[in-house]
Amino acid sequence: MSNDKYDVILDTMDATESRLEILFRQAGDGFIQVEYGRKQRAALQDSFRMLAINDIIKSKSINGLIETVPGIRTNLLHFDPEIISYQELIENVKESEDSMSTIDDVVLESRIINLPIAFEDSETKKSVAKYVAEVRQDAPNVINGYNIEYMAMCNGVSVAEVKKMLLGTEWFNSGGGFWPGGAFLWPMDPRCALVVPKYNPPRTWTPEGAVGIGGPCVFTYTTPTGGGYQLFGRTIPIFQFACKHPMFKDGPFLYRNADRVRFHETTEKEVLEIYGHVHEKFDYEYIIDQGEIKAKDYLKWYNSEDIQTGMKKLKEKQAVGVKEAPLL
Amino acid sequence: MLKVINGGIETLVEDWPGRLGYLGKGMSASGAFDNVSLGFANVLVGNPSGKAGLEITGGFFEAEFSDTTVIAVTGTDMKASINGEPIVMWESLQVEKGDIIKFFQIGAVGFRSYLAVAGGIDVPAYLGSKSTCVFGSYGGFNGRKLEAGDEIQIGEPKGSFSELSRNRLKEGVVPEFTNAWELRAIVGPNTSPDYVSQKGMDYLFSHTSKIQHTSNRSAYRLEELPNSFFARTDGGVGGSHPSNIIDHAYAIRGTLNICGNTPILLVADGPTLGGYMCTLQVINADLWKVGQGTPNRDTMKFRLSSQEEATQARIKQNKLLSKNSLA
Repeated sequence: MSNDKYDVILDTMDATESRLEILFRQAGDGFIQVEYGRKQRAALQDSFRMLAINDIIKSKSINGLIETVPGIRTNLLHFDPEIISYQELIENVKESEDSMSTIDDVVLESRIINLPIAFEDSETKKSVAKYVAEVRQDAPNVINGYNIEYMAMCNGVSVAEVKKMLLGTEWFNSGGGFWPGGAFLWPMDPRCALVVPKYNPPRTWTPEGAVGIGGPCVFTYTTPTGGGYQLFGRTIPIFQFACKHPMFKDGPFLYRNADRVRFHETTEKEVLEIYGHVHEKFDYEYIIDQGEIKAKDYLKWYNSEDIQTGMKKLKEKQAVGVKEAPLL
Repeated sequence: MLKVINGGIETLVEDWPGRLGYLGKGMSASGAFDNVSLGFANVLVGNPSGKAGLEITGGFFEAEFSDTTVIAVTGTDMKASINGEPIVMWESLQVEKGDIIKFFQIGAVGFRSYLAVAGGIDVPAYLGSKSTCVFGSYGGFNGRKLEAGDEIQIGEPKGSFSELSRNRLKEGVVPEFTNAWELRAIVGPNTSPDYVSQKGMDYLFSHTSKIQHTSNRSAYRLEELPNSFFARTDGGVGGSHPSNIIDHAYAIRGTLNICGNTPILLVADGPTLGGYMCTLQVINADLWKVGQGTPNRDTMKFRLSSQEEATQARIKQNKLLSKNSLA
């Protein structure tokens, strides 16, 4: 560190062909933040690498490392400074980074979690109605009692196209946080990358299993809570405090880092039936496929002409939509 | 067993260090907001310092003991009494079956009292801790604050009642309470020159701020910062406000989150990840002071600390919270 008393960069690693510069930032007496790049960006390739490196760090079972908390371009390391120094911890991260020298090395275990969704269901509609009645009567994001038309407007597309995009991509979990069992889900397919503003002010109630989008991320609400994402439907339980269903025998959480969620449309009746099978009969069988992500293959696909053209077309529509949609 | 007669303003089962290891699952550590007071209360009754006890915020908690046991009360002076007789704080005492403990309101200094019972408060551990996360409604006693009619179980004491009662602390080990809290802090991860101006950092370490009335176990809010605090005019792809950043994990307990122009200490039950910058962290050994900071009355001021000082302070505090501190 320099002599500047407010300098927090403890160490760095130079950029290479396969990764950005790495900054090690001081974050307390027991925390350091590993950051990819000096410029803020939200790119899945950074997250793939961050999570692959995170797996290596965790496999080392470092004495004194309490936990790691990856975000899309950062990883927060929580440690006990009475057991390990931040310098030793940084050396461990550096070794892990060096062991993954080319993009070919970035292969990530990634399950696909198939979740049924009922679009425009009655429970999430109730929570929007409650918002209008109790929080904001003139909310411009509520059209015909719901948020999905506003979502379409912001992106310059139709409601049918919104649903097609939500169903047409896998949603990648860059890491959990914020709310118990929560996961921030990013679209793998940039042609499905909807973007919407968040509620202003937020809701006071959202039902369990509500599915919403805020900024670029989809979020499935794990328990009833407030919230600020635009709601479009309801899925099945992804969290269980009581840990009684076999899927939750090791903890109340369904999601792991690097999971991908794929939604398929169903009826509200079926979704409600599954709630009974998860929370009361404990016999619902989750549909989970094992899989992996190869960063190199993903980037090749992402940068291919078809995908890039499709992405540009969506961005053009969004540029028009943003102008038409009222601010929140 | 402890039968609750009046839950008071907010009485919670909390232990220490709380529920570690679940930040990435969206669960903060929770735990005793003033771990030093809980630690001494436990030491006085012969428990390990992190054993679960009751955290009494604001006051007015009242309960009846169903069995003879040994207790200690620490933290702010809420004029606690047994059957109307004042309790001497920071000492252990034996209570009998049918005795009623009653707390009045907060004292001139401090905001939270702690009640430790020999053997500890016995609720089922959830994900490795007995602490309550009020905001998420899990852990502790049914995931909530105590209410009249609740029956709280007590664990096995580590010794006879006569051995455990009348314990006192050595001269000078009881922490000093005040209305003007100085918090030692380490800077990072978002500071000058890229996020905050040099002037802004200087301001942060020189300004004395009143604790806002909206403070709670998730967040301690301080006075608004001037716009000159920021080194930039917007948050780029993170958002329109200069405090915005692409979502990152928060170093809780203890990080100072800059949410718009409002600095917020994210504490016991705080959110674990979000889209606002964080400029400093209160060192682990000073977290207890935040818990004793009284909203709308006390002030807080940060003092620049270092890794070395913070780690030494941790070691010193851990040593203090042991039998060595008994007189």
